[in-house]
Amino acid sequence: MWHNSFPDSLENMLENKEETMKEALRISSLAFLDTIFYPDIEVQPGEVVFLLGASGSGKSSLLRLINGTISPSGGSVFYNGKDILEYDPLHLRSEIILAGQSAYLFPGTVRENFLQYHQYRESVPPDEETMGACLAACRVPFSPDMSCDTLSGGEKQRVFLSVALSFRPKVFLLDEPTSALDRPTAEELMKNLTEYCRSGNIAAVIVSHDRHLIDMFADRTLDLGGAAS
Amino acid sequence: MTGAAAIGIQRFLVIYLLLLVVLALMKRSKISQTKLLLTASLRMTVQLVIAGFLLTYIFENPHPLFTAGYLFAMMGFAIHRVLSKNRDLNTGFKISIGLSLSFSGLAVLVYFVAAVVNQSLFNPQYVIPLSGMIFGNAMTGVSLGVKSFRENTASAKERMEALLNFGVSPKNILLPFVNQALETAILPTLNSMVGMGIVSLPGMMTGQILSGTLPTTAILYQISIMVAICTVVCLSVFGSLHFGYHTLYNKRSQFCRLGGLLTGTGCGDEKSGSGTGREK
Repeated sequence: MWHNSFPDSLENMLENKEETMKEALRISSLAFLDTIFYPDIEVQPGEVVFLLGASGSGKSSLLRLINGTISPSGGSVFYNGKDILEYDPLHLRSEIILAGQSAYLFPGTVRENFLQYHQYRESVPPDEETMGACLAACRVPFSPDMSCDTLSGGEKQRVFLSVALSFRPKVFLLDEPTSALDRPTAEELMKNLTEYCRSGNIAAVIVSHDRHLIDMFADRTLDLGGAAS
Repeated sequence: MTGAAAIGIQRFLVIYLLLLVVLALMKRSKISQTKLLLTASLRMTVQLVIAGFLLTYIFENPHPLFTAGYLFAMMGFAIHRVLSKNRDLNTGFKISIGLSLSFSGLAVLVYFVAAVVNQSLFNPQYVIPLSGMIFGNAMTGVSLGVKSFRENTASAKERMEALLNFGVSPKNILLPFVNQALETAILPTLNSMVGMGIVSLPGMMTGQILSGTLPTTAILYQISIMVAICTVVCLSVFGSLHFGYHTLYNKRSQFCRLGGLLTGTGCGDEKSGSGTGREK
C-alpha cells in the first residue's frame, strides 16, 4: 500500500537541505517573440509562486524560457545568480525541471516509465523506495507494476509528475499540474509537492487556473494579465 | 539463345490497351487519379523515347563527358525529386540529403563498375544503366526514410517535449526516430531480396534474358545489383538522416521550428522568435 500524504521517505530524497541559494530565479526585462513582455520577477529558494493569466498571456512560454527550451527575444533569466546562458543547457534542465501540460507516458508499466525516462536522460534510475515515495507524494494509489496503457488522464498526469519529481529538481516548474484531477486529489497532491519544495528549499513556479488551490498553497501570485496582442 | 525479338510500332502500341483496364478499374473504384495515370504514361513514354535516342547517340559516340553528363543529370534529378517533396526542410538538412545521395551513389557505382564488372568508369553501356538503378533506388529509399522520420517525429511531439523539458539531449531524443526511419527505408529492399527469384524475376534480369544473355550470367548481375542497391539505400538514408537530424537543434539544445516536423523557436534559416538563441 502506498502512502497518501507527504511521506517521510520523500524527505530522504532532499539533498543538501541546508544549502541555500541567494535567489533561485530572477527574470529581468524578459520578452518573448517581441510580443510578450514579462514583469521582473524574483523567486526565492523554497518559495511557491503561482502564475495566473489569460490564455495567450505567456505563462507556459515563461516556464519554457526559464528552463531554456526556448530563447527570449530580449532580457535575461538568472538561476542561482548566474545568467542561464552561462550554464550548459542540459545541466540547467537537469536542475530546473519542467513538467509540461501534456503528461506523456511510454507504453509499459509505471516502473518502466521511470526507467525509460532516466535511461533517456542517462541518469541513475530511482530505487524502489524513492520511486514509491514519488508515487505516494503524487497520490498514485497503485503499484509501479501497473500498466500505463489503461490509466485515466488524471492517473497519467500523477504518474508523469512522479517521474518529474524523481529527477530531484532544484527548481520545479509545473504547468497546470492538476488540470485533470478532482479537487480532493488535487489538494493532496499540491499539499505534498509544496511541502516537499518548501522543506527542500526548492523554488516552485506553478501555472494554475484554480483559484482555490492558489489561495491554499501560494506564497505569492503573479498575474501576467491578458493575452499578448 | 537468341536476341530479343524486334517489336514493330503497331504491335508495341497494343500494350497501351492494358492501361484501359487500369482506367476502368480506377473509375469503378472512384479513384480520381485519371489525370495522373495519363500524365504518368505520357511522361514515361516521352522520357524513355528521349532516353533511347540519347543513349543510342552516346553508345555510338562514346565520350567520358557524355557519360559523366548523363550520370550527373540522373543524380541531380534524384536529389531534386527528394527535395521537392520536402521543401520546408532547413538548408542544412537539404545539403545532408544531397551529399549523402551523391556520395553514396557514386561510391557504390564506382565499386560496382570497377571492382565487380571490371569496366572503365566512363563506359556508358555499364555506367548509365547501373547508375540509373542505383540512384533510382537511393532516391526511393531516402524519400521513404525522410517521410517516415517526419511523420514519426510529428506524431511524437508530446514525448519529445517532455523529454526535452526533463533535460534529455535532442540527440538522444531524435536518434530512435532516425533508426526507425532507416529500418522503414531499407525493409522494402530486404523484402524484395527475400522474394527474388521465387516471387519475381526482376526487371534487369528479365531484360538481359530477353536480349539473349545466359540466365546464369543474368543472375550474377542481378545478385550484384541487388547487393549494390541494398548498400546504397542503407548508406544514403543513413547519411541523410544522421547528418540531417543534427540540423534540427541548436547549440542551446533547443528544437527548431520546421514545418510539421518539430516545435521550437531556435535555429538556422527559418524565421524564429529569437533568432538563434543568444550566445554568451
